[in-house]
Amino acid sequence: MKLLPEFLKGIIKQNPIFVLALGLCPVLAVSTSVKNALGMGAAATFVLVGSNCIVSLIKKAVPDKIRIPCFIIVIATFVTIAELVMKAYSPALNRALGIYVPLIVVNCMVLGRAEAFASRRTLSASFVDALGMGVGFTLGLALISAVRELLGSGQLLGYTLLPGFQPALMMALPPGALLVIGGMLGFFNLLKGRRE
Amino acid sequence: MNAGHFLAIFISSIFVSNVILSRFLGLCSFIAISKETRPALAMSSAVLFVIVMSSAITWVVYNYLLIPLDLAYLRTISFILVIASCVQLVEMVVRKFMPALYRVFGIYLPLITVNCAVLGVAVLNTDMFFSSGKPLPGSFIFSIFQGVCVGIGYTLAMLLMSAIRERLEYSRVPEAVREFPIAFVTASLMSLSFMGFNGFRF
Amino acid sequence: MENKLIVTAAPHLHAHQSTARIMWSVSLALLPAGAAGVYLFGYAALAIIVTAVAAALATEWLLQKMMRRQVTLLDGSAFLTGLLLAYNLPSGVPLWMPAVGSFFAIAVGKQIFGGLGQNIFNPALAARAFLMASWPAYMTSFRAPGFDAVACATPLSALKEGHLRQVYSYLDLFLGNKGGCIGEVCVAGLLAGAVFLFLKGYITWHIPVSYLFTAGILHYVFGPSGLFSGDWLFYLLSGGLVLGAFYMATDYVTSPLTAKGQLIYGTGCGLLTAVIRLWGGYPEGTCYAILMMNAVSPFIDRYTRGRIYGTGKMR
Repeated sequence: MKLLPEFLKGIIKQNPIFVLALGLCPVLAVSTSVKNALGMGAAATFVLVGSNCIVSLIKKAVPDKIRIPCFIIVIATFVTIAELVMKAYSPALNRALGIYVPLIVVNCMVLGRAEAFASRRTLSASFVDALGMGVGFTLGLALISAVRELLGSGQLLGYTLLPGFQPALMMALPPGALLVIGGMLGFFNLLKGRRE
Repeated sequence: MNAGHFLAIFISSIFVSNVILSRFLGLCSFIAISKETRPALAMSSAVLFVIVMSSAITWVVYNYLLIPLDLAYLRTISFILVIASCVQLVEMVVRKFMPALYRVFGIYLPLITVNCAVLGVAVLNTDMFFSSGKPLPGSFIFSIFQGVCVGIGYTLAMLLMSAIRERLEYSRVPEAVREFPIAFVTASLMSLSFMGFNGFRF
Repeated sequence: MENKLIVTAAPHLHAHQSTARIMWSVSLALLPAGAAGVYLFGYAALAIIVTAVAAALATEWLLQKMMRRQVTLLDGSAFLTGLLLAYNLPSGVPLWMPAVGSFFAIAVGKQIFGGLGQNIFNPALAARAFLMASWPAYMTSFRAPGFDAVACATPLSALKEGHLRQVYSYLDLFLGNKGGCIGEVCVAGLLAGAVFLFLKGYITWHIPVSYLFTAGILHYVFGPSGLFSGDWLFYLLSGGLVLGAFYMATDYVTSPLTAKGQLIYGTGCGLLTAVIRLWGGYPEGTCYAILMMNAVSPFIDRYTRGRIYGTGKMR
C-alpha cells in the first residue's frame, strides 16, 4: 500500500478545514495571528498523530460498544500532555490560545480520524493519515490567519507588509473570522465547480 | 456578589461574547443543525440542559476532588469523562421516563458529548471563578448562572439562524456560496450587529 | 405597502407601483436632508455622497456582470444603498471609506445573498457597522456645521462623556445645527421626506411609530436623575433615530411582512436603541438595533404569518 497518497490527501483533496469543514472552532478563534495559528496547528497535529497511532494499536482490544469513550480518553491524554508541555515551554502561547487548547479534545476532526480511519487501518497508514491531516489543518489555519492578520493589522508574523494601508480592525474581531472563512469556503467551491 | 455581577455575566454571555458568534464554541452543531427551526430548537434545549448540569457537576468535581488531591492538571480528561457520562445518563433517563421528549431531542444527545460549548463552559468556569486553586466567593452560583446564560445565548443564535436559513432556502443565493459559506457570512453580520453591546455598563 | 409578495386568489388589483418607482421615490424623499447636510458640512459632504453612490453602482454592475445576471442599475436600489450609507457617515471621513463601505454593502450585504429582495440585513447599515468596527477613529470624529471643519462632538456622544448639553436648543436639533452624520442631522428635512412617503403610501406607520414611541418612553423613564426624568425629545431629535426609523427600519426586504410583525419589530428596534444609548459603550445604537432586529425579522415572520383560510391553526 502506498503511503504518500494517504499523506497528500489530507493537504488538498480532503483538507479538514476547507473540504471537510471539521474542527472549525479553534480555526476561527485562534486565527487572529499567524503565530497563534502555527502553535495551534502544531498542538493539534501532535494530538492527531499520537491518538491515531494509539487507537490503531488498541483497535482489536477495545470492545465495539465503548470504543468512542475509549478514543476520547486516549485523545484527552494527548491533549493534557500538549497542554502541560505548552505551559512549561511557551506560557505566552498557552495564554494566547486559552481554553482552545483543552478544547482540542472535542475537536471533531481528531475524533473523526480516530473513528473513521485509525480504528480500522494499520499503524503506519494511521500515522501517515494523521500527519497529512495535521499538516493540512495547519496549512489551512495558517492561510486564514495570514489573511486576517494582513487585513486586520497590515502585518504578517509581526512584520509590517503594507505600510500605507489602514488596517481594517474588524478582520481581527470575531465577525472578521466568520467572514473570512465564509469567503474562503465559497472561493474553494468556486474552484471545485470550475474543475468539474 | 450582587445583581450587577449577574447582569454583567448575562449580557456578556448572551451578546458580547456569544458562545457561538464570538467564542466559536459549538460551531459545528450551529452550522449543521440550523437549517430548520424545529431541530434547532430541540438541539438548543438539549444543549442548554446539559450545559447547566455539567457546569454544576464539573464545579463539584474540580473543587472537591481535583484541587484537594492536587490533580488540577487532569482537568481536561476528567471533565470530558464527567460530561460523557452525564450525557449518557440523561439519555437513559429521558428514554426511559420521557419517551415523548426523547423523540424530540434524543438523537442530538450523543452529539452533545463532543459539543465544544459544553466542555468550553466547564473550562471557562474554572478559569473565571477560581483564583490560584481557590473558589472565588459565590463561584458555584456564578458557574451555574453562566451555564444558563451561555445556553440561552446558544439558543438565541440557533433560533435566529435557523429562521434566516429557512428564508434563504427560497433566495437566489449564488451556487458557490450556498449552504456553509452563506451561513458563515450571515453569522458574521449577526456577530457584527451584536457588537453594538460592546462596553456595556450599568 | 406590505404583503405585496403574498400570493392571493383572484381578483387582483393592480397598483401602479414597482420596485424602481419606490426606490427612486425614497431617494427623492431623502433629498432635502441630503441638501441640508451639504449646506451644513460643505462640499466634503457632497463628495462623500457622490463617491458612495458611484461605488455602489459600480459594485452592483461588476458583480451582476460576473455572475452573468441581468444588470439592474436602473431599479435604484444600489443608488439608494449608496445614498443611505453616505448619510450615515461623518462628513470628515477620507473618500476611500465610502467607497470601501459601498463595496461591502453591495457585495457582502446584498449580492452574496442573491441580490435585490433576498438580503437579510440592511446593506447600508451592515456596511456602516463594518466601517465602525474597522476604522472606529474616523467613524467617531465629527465636525461642527460650517465650512471650516472644526472638530465637534455629537449631542449624544457629548452626553455620554458627561458634558452638559445646554448648548443645543430643540430648534437647533430639529434643523440640524449640531455635529453628526451627513444625512441624520436635519430632522426637518427627513420628516418632510417621510410625509411625502406616507402620502404616497410607500411606508406605513407601524414601524416608525412603534420604534419612536418605544425609544421615547424608555428615554423618558430611565432619565439621568431618577425615573421619569428623561428628556425624551432631546433623544428623539439626536443621532440617527429619525433617519433610522423612517428610512432604514422600514426597508421592505429586511422587515417583517405583517402589521403585527412590524409592530413587534419596531418595538424591538426602539428597545435595543434605547438600551444601547443608555447603558452601552457606544453613544448611538440605531444602526445596531436595526441590524439586530433584521436578524430577528425572519423569526418574527415565521410566527406571525397569517394562516391560510380554511386550514387549521398554525402550529
